[in-house]
Amino acid sequence: MNVIEIKDLVKIYTNTAMEVTAVDHINLIVEKGEFTAIVGPSGSGKTTLLNMIGGLDKATSGEILVDNIDISTLNAKQLVDFRLHNIGFVFQSYNLIPVLTARENVSFIMEMQGLDKQKIKTRTSEILSDVGLGDRMDSRPNQMSGGQQQRVAVARAMASRPKFIIADEPTANLDSKTTEKLLDIMIELNEKENITFLFSTHDQRVVNKARRVIVLEDGKIVKDEKVGSR
Amino acid sequence: MIWSIAWKNVWRNRKRSLIVITAVLLGTTAGVFTSGLMNGWIKQRMQSVIYTEVGHLKLYNPEFLNNEEINNFIPQSEAVVSYLQNDKRVKAFSQRIKLMSMASTSRGNSVLMLQGIDLEKEKQVSDLYKLILPNAGTYFAGSGSYPIVISDRTAEQLRIKNYTIKAETFDSLKIAGIPEPVIEKLKVIENKRFNTENLLKKQLTKLLSLKDLKNYSAEILGAAKHYRLNSKVVFTFTGKNGELISQAFKVCGIFKTNNTMFDLMNAYVLHSDLAAVAGLSNMEFHETGMVLNDNEELKNVQSDIRKAFPGLSVLSWKELATDAAMMNDFMDLFYSIIMGFILFALAFGIINTMMMSVLERTKELGMLMAVGMNKKRVFNMIMLETIFLTLVGAVAGMIVGWIIILITGHTGINFSSVGEGMEAMGWSALVYPEIDAAFFFGVTLMVIATGILSSILPARKALKLNPVEALKIDN
Repeated sequence: MNVIEIKDLVKIYTNTAMEVTAVDHINLIVEKGEFTAIVGPSGSGKTTLLNMIGGLDKATSGEILVDNIDISTLNAKQLVDFRLHNIGFVFQSYNLIPVLTARENVSFIMEMQGLDKQKIKTRTSEILSDVGLGDRMDSRPNQMSGGQQQRVAVARAMASRPKFIIADEPTANLDSKTTEKLLDIMIELNEKENITFLFSTHDQRVVNKARRVIVLEDGKIVKDEKVGSR
Repeated sequence: MIWSIAWKNVWRNRKRSLIVITAVLLGTTAGVFTSGLMNGWIKQRMQSVIYTEVGHLKLYNPEFLNNEEINNFIPQSEAVVSYLQNDKRVKAFSQRIKLMSMASTSRGNSVLMLQGIDLEKEKQVSDLYKLILPNAGTYFAGSGSYPIVISDRTAEQLRIKNYTIKAETFDSLKIAGIPEPVIEKLKVIENKRFNTENLLKKQLTKLLSLKDLKNYSAEILGAAKHYRLNSKVVFTFTGKNGELISQAFKVCGIFKTNNTMFDLMNAYVLHSDLAAVAGLSNMEFHETGMVLNDNEELKNVQSDIRKAFPGLSVLSWKELATDAAMMNDFMDLFYSIIMGFILFALAFGIINTMMMSVLERTKELGMLMAVGMNKKRVFNMIMLETIFLTLVGAVAGMIVGWIIILITGHTGINFSSVGEGMEAMGWSALVYPEIDAAFFFGVTLMVIATGILSSILPARKALKLNPVEALKIDN
């Protein structure tokens, strides 16, 4: 089943001096449950592509279908709502809310979605335990290491069971040991919950763990490889 | 959830928030106390107007208001009495003879409105009988023939009051704890009579140091004050038949209200004495004053009396004491203006703090919008944060202000340094601040409104953020 379908996607940035084609006629299909890494040098268009798939940026032309909904036709308000109910985000610098505990950071998205309080409570405990932070639920971000914060961020992204998760360089600020641990957790969750993971990375260790690797160069896909099971 | 995040965000930068909260606390305290002070002042004035000077309503022959002639008494007097006796809204009423007269003693004179009163009825409509000064006689108790009660200011004008430090005065000053060296200095002016307080004050300034003057002058002036009770005051007025009548009255009591003008204008004698001297019958009065059971009934009672007696002038205290009426009517607006100005000034500090807070959280706000927090929620979050920040300071300020009012409402605040000027306009120099619960409700609403308005600029700034650009920022 296709979660994401991209048809002839183009993104051009224009300023007074020049035009930059960040994404150049990309066609792509992502299936449910994929664990896909998008790699490429700086300026290859990874972040721009992910931003457009995540509904954070508008394409110049082309289509992005998520569950057969063309998100390029949605207005700003509809996009916000779409992101809330369909997409999970993991950011490079964790971006947890510092005044909230781990529990509250995970649950607030489900609260915005209007889910039942008891279900939120149960799901929050479950997902934080899955990422190995069952005993740190009431800790604040400043009481946790970088790796623990990123695990909370992953739990937050997964908690509401979105259609897919976008992770933009999620391991960039982590050491190798923590990176390994985080990736194992993400793979485990991917397999357990069958949620699609789409992330951009420079990190070879991450690439090694991915089941599919898409290589971008100058806004084009130059390689799209499904690798064997790990 | 938004409420919880907003509340926690207030305390994100504790120091900065506490500075703003303290500013709001101080501003609110000042506003609450000022309003309490004005409220107490106005209420005291109203109390004085209604229960000492004027009453709720007064009835006159309209001609008497144009021309205070003795023959312009209230028509249908018996019918008026009967009507008022049967109206359950009227608590009590009293009828008075009023004659403009010249008062003279051997040492001074004054123009006064001589009022002939029914003693028992008058006590029910005016508490003037409670305002007889200590050691200054009585309110017609056991008095001889033709007794009169005059004010302290009138006594000064007629030279019935003077200031003399006698031998017995030194004894009372010793008992009051005045130091011996100070008493020794006063012996220079023993038995010397000063006609006014100011004359004695001038002399004391020459004799005593500034410190002794500040500490002991009130005590010395009080002890030196003497009234020549039973002094005769001759009143001259026009009688019923147009003849000039002179009658001596003996001073039996001295009163003092908070209204110097009222004190200077009025003197009281027994109705029977004045009627007999002026040639008036028992049912010939110039004024009927009354107090009601409920102030809210004022308009209705006034209107009903006017309908029943169209030939009478029926005036309320609002028409007779327009200054107090105006202050009373504008009280609420006045408090709102004070608090409004204070909150308006504070809003600039609040806006500045919130703008800094939003700027610091650009990345976080970008994240929130990226994960699906819509503009309405972002706006509400910032608005709630601003309201909480303002409300914490305001609630604390209201509590502090209320405590100050509670204390000063019990002890009073003495404005005697400007007392003379205030009393000349009828306002008490000793003020007991008070405030009612409804005021705090109004302040809370104003604070919330301030929070909402102050949140607009910072919220707009947040809403303009592009999540993609915001997430790139390194905070």
